[in-house]
Amino acid sequence: MSTGYLVLTRSKLKRQLKKQLKTAGALAVPGLLLCSAVSAGPIRHEEHFKVAAHPIITIHNPEGLITVKAWTKAEVMVISMPASNAVEVDSEQMGNRVDVTTRALSDSVSPSDMKADFQINVPEDAELQIHNDAGSVTVSNVTGDMNVETVAAGVDLEDTSGYLTVKTVGGSFQCLRCAGRIEVSSITGSFKLIDLKSTRVWAQTSSGNILFNGQFLPNGTYSLKNYSGIIEVRFSPADSFDMSATSLKGKVNNEAKLTPSTHEHHFMPRWGNALFGTFNQGRAKVELTSFDGTINILKRD
Amino acid sequence: MATDRCKDFLGRLDSWIAGERPAEAKAHFRDCASCQAVVEDLNAIQIEARSWRQLESEAPERVWTALRAQLEQEGLIRAEQPEREAAPVASSLADWLSAVFARIPRPALAGAYLSILVALGFALSGPVNQPSNEAKWLEGTRVVSSPISAQLDNFEQNTSLANRDRNPAITASLHQNLAIVDNYISLCEKSVQEEPENEVARDYLYSAYKQKADLLAQIGERGENVQ
Amino acid sequence: MPEAEAIRLAQQGNAPAFERLYRLHNRRVYSLCLRMVSNTAEAEDLTQEAFLQLFRKIATFRGESAFSTWLHRLAVNVVLMRLRKKSGTEASLDEMTEPDEESGGPRRDFGGPDLRLSGSIDRVNLQRAVEQLPPGYKSVFVLHDVQGYEHNEIAKIMECSIGNSKSQLHKARMRLRELLHEALRDKAREDRKAASEGSGGED
Repeated sequence: MSTGYLVLTRSKLKRQLKKQLKTAGALAVPGLLLCSAVSAGPIRHEEHFKVAAHPIITIHNPEGLITVKAWTKAEVMVISMPASNAVEVDSEQMGNRVDVTTRALSDSVSPSDMKADFQINVPEDAELQIHNDAGSVTVSNVTGDMNVETVAAGVDLEDTSGYLTVKTVGGSFQCLRCAGRIEVSSITGSFKLIDLKSTRVWAQTSSGNILFNGQFLPNGTYSLKNYSGIIEVRFSPADSFDMSATSLKGKVNNEAKLTPSTHEHHFMPRWGNALFGTFNQGRAKVELTSFDGTINILKRD
Repeated sequence: MATDRCKDFLGRLDSWIAGERPAEAKAHFRDCASCQAVVEDLNAIQIEARSWRQLESEAPERVWTALRAQLEQEGLIRAEQPEREAAPVASSLADWLSAVFARIPRPALAGAYLSILVALGFALSGPVNQPSNEAKWLEGTRVVSSPISAQLDNFEQNTSLANRDRNPAITASLHQNLAIVDNYISLCEKSVQEEPENEVARDYLYSAYKQKADLLAQIGERGENVQ
Repeated sequence: MPEAEAIRLAQQGNAPAFERLYRLHNRRVYSLCLRMVSNTAEAEDLTQEAFLQLFRKIATFRGESAFSTWLHRLAVNVVLMRLRKKSGTEASLDEMTEPDEESGGPRRDFGGPDLRLSGSIDRVNLQRAVEQLPPGYKSVFVLHDVQGYEHNEIAKIMECSIGNSKSQLHKARMRLRELLHEALRDKAREDRKAASEGSGGED
């Protein structure tokens, strides 16, 4: 335990106190408390919750850095670091569900105090629900379903899976090697979708850019849409997709040699710039739509 | 030793009560008055508890009355409307829109967003296969979207006034994004006016209204999420 | 209207469908809440809150579990959250999930008191004893012994294992037995005191 930090493990604290009162180590308890009282550094709380398969973890936080990682234990560890004594972090377990909430202790808490950072370890199959207005959310190696909502916080997912729903107002979104099903929407946030292993991707932003750099998997459906900004997809010669790209007022730049589409459900729009066609066998379906932005279909280096 | 056997027996008591009778347990139960007493007591508790099932009663009617009022306030209940003959595309779009908005937590004001957007969904998705009639589409879109736009603006004003400023930076970001969406709405409206039969433009306009309603709901909730 | 149809229509915001679901399930939910908090006003409030949460989330119901199981899970969560806030006793909920440290047997002497409970239990004293149970024990006891759910259903409602449910029920019953015996002993003591005072005997 480093100087200036108080580590509390809720489930063990009572037993610890009982033991310490009986032994000469009784002085350690007031010592610990004294440590927290005089410490000028941030307070760090650590709590552990035993869970069964597929636990649900919810986090409601106004602002802060939230990092969630998977581990092999059947346990959820929550390390919270509130920015000040004016807020507290309340972690509660209800059966197989752990709820983590940051609360103000009074009505007059300033925005700069209304923050907490988190490091959370969860079982791999955990389901996550995260609300974080500002700061960032980083999740890695979790394979359960996930719902993340932010205003300005960026969201970074790596090697995740499951049904992923991400909604930001202005926060950016990056997804690396994610599988499962991905639905992401934003107003001004930009997206980077890299080396996805997902066969269902739906991404919509208004003024942000969308970059898709990875393979279009067979039987996958990829829908990327914005109002303005750039939509850029990078394909490789081994890819196989059926493409429709439409920009109502902007441009469509294409490096893929597409065979004109013969599919019945395609129709040539009368408005804007559009192209339809098949690359190789057309195994994946790709739809790119922009209102007045630019769509680039480029070869991957 | 008797105590160990009692511990063992009582440790498997739930199985015994459930009807399992292993030979060793039966033998101990026959000989141990103490364990017999425990089993008898637990049976008595179970019998009494089961009798409570007959006493179950419905919640007073006021619970439903209050619940219904809350559901209406949150816009989760739609007032019963006469069946309308809408094109399949329109009805499925409106249904989908209702389902989406049913999942979004909303402040009291946003109860009207649902009905507004359902109406918009019907108006903007019209039957696809009808012969084109630009003036008709333009008029139809204008009739629906003007009051919708006005209503959303009105809600925006009320929501901003009601908002308790917890974090000015976040609130500013929300309002900034709201201004961006307003800009897109006017661009899309202009596009629809220029090309009334342009389904892509209508789809974008509809998405823009939905985004605005979403944002207003988020702004309105800021003040309600004080903890 | 069959339940499945009511669920489908309620997901679209249909008012009669909501009411149908409420009428179908409010008795069990209200009874559960009443057994847990023993206060009609609070039970009404909790019932309303449970259904409100249900109807807010109904669009997400995909039929992976029985609707009633899902509803009761919500109701139990609502009740436990309220109890937790009121009493601040988190230890009892931790007991739901922490491994047993004590043996499964009763904590008191095995000889037990001479008094037997049968014939002495009535609704009032059992209800009083149930009120004193920790929330986790109380939930499992009410769901199993009062409402008749099986352990596999309780496991889904409480989001715990079947073994956990059985273990908690056993502990709940043993605890109730202790509480009822204490109440009996207290009553017997009072009766003896009243009798000796009545006869004018010395202490």
